[in-house]
Amino acid sequence: MRLFLLFFLVGILLILLQTTLLHLLPIGPIIPDLTLVLCVYLGLYHPTVGAALGSFLIGYSVDVVSSPSRMVGLNAFAMSLVFLLVYFGSRSIWLQNPLVSSIVVLFAALVKSAALVLISAFFVSLEGFWIGATWYIIQEALAAAVLAPVVFGLLRAGENYAARFRAAGQ
Amino acid sequence: MLAFVRKNQVPLSSCFCLLLSIYILTAAARGQLKNEPLGALLMWIMRPLQIASESAVNWVKNFRDNYDTLAGFKSENERLRKRIQTLEVERQRLLEAEATNLQLKALLDFRTRLPAGAITASIIANSANSWFQSCMIDKGSSDGVRKGMAVVTPLGVVGQVVGVTPHAAKVLLLTDPNSGIDVLVQRTRSRGIVSGSLDSGTVLKYVKRSEDIQEGDRLITSGIDGIFPKGMMVATVIKVRKQHIGLFQFIEVLPAVQTARIENVLVVAGDGAGKS
Repeated sequence: MRLFLLFFLVGILLILLQTTLLHLLPIGPIIPDLTLVLCVYLGLYHPTVGAALGSFLIGYSVDVVSSPSRMVGLNAFAMSLVFLLVYFGSRSIWLQNPLVSSIVVLFAALVKSAALVLISAFFVSLEGFWIGATWYIIQEALAAAVLAPVVFGLLRAGENYAARFRAAGQ
Repeated sequence: MLAFVRKNQVPLSSCFCLLLSIYILTAAARGQLKNEPLGALLMWIMRPLQIASESAVNWVKNFRDNYDTLAGFKSENERLRKRIQTLEVERQRLLEAEATNLQLKALLDFRTRLPAGAITASIIANSANSWFQSCMIDKGSSDGVRKGMAVVTPLGVVGQVVGVTPHAAKVLLLTDPNSGIDVLVQRTRSRGIVSGSLDSGTVLKYVKRSEDIQEGDRLITSGIDGIFPKGMMVATVIKVRKQHIGLFQFIEVLPAVQTARIENVLVVAGDGAGKS
């Protein structure tokens, strides 16, 4: 439960970063999807019910703060899907190399984008909304993939710190 | 059944989340998702954090903008400084060109009033010591300059060519003690010789005591020496002293041409030039 809360708070922090600070990065309109990286991390290292709910909540939080009212739930669906796929894939992925985490995040980002496209087309049918978005999707996926090893490292360091803190308390 | 659920609780919970998402999406697409508590709670949690975060970001943004502005000013300032330097050099060059142009134009105008064959020359060097008042010009025998030719400017007489090489010539200035120019006092037509002297500057020699010479009288070339064209300004009388003894007056004059300030001259042939 504590870990769930910790990751939820980290998720909130990452959403704050995505909605504010990361807009200052000189990489044009691209915002690295750090919440996606967190969901991948949860799927790889914490395959629990709490992590599944956490992924959903993170996606839903993104919807609450940024999606149009007609499309709320879109990110929640995409994040849950990413978590599920990473969960299934984690059994056959050897994650000692940071490059592998980048590749996993890259694929996860592409899957998430594909899910967003399909679901939005099915439910909202915004004609032409996704036209020309391919390059944007690839760029966003690449940005997330580049940052993935850093975020993974920070999350692991945070977990180790929390574990030491808990051990010291006991 | 329970064992299946326990064994697959993670994928099942994920599937539940997916279904819940689809339900929410459907409701949202139909416009039925209003006042749902989870979203309101998340917004309630996020709002103060977002305000604080946005404030921090704005601070960073302002700081960066200010920095960029200052950096822009600095580079602009640097660019303008360099531009000013370049323009200053250009301006200096143009002023110099304009001054030279004016000098040459005056020289050209003056040349039309001189006998044909006047040669334009530039002074390229001055005397190496104070014992002799001379200068070098950049035209020589290959340009038609000959020994004994007069050197003048529109302001008046400069001196006389005393040495010639193929591409340069030496001019003895009228302020040199060895020079001597036959002149007339313009007002009285009295004659005399203007020459330099080591102790008293430039003087007018050999004017009789009886001649009426006054300060401010203008001295012009007589043309009798066959070197300088007649009527050219030579000097102005600045001091007259009649001694108790002797035949002549002592007269100090101020040359019309300040040789230290001229750059271009005309070399002209008088009637007797080149004969010696």
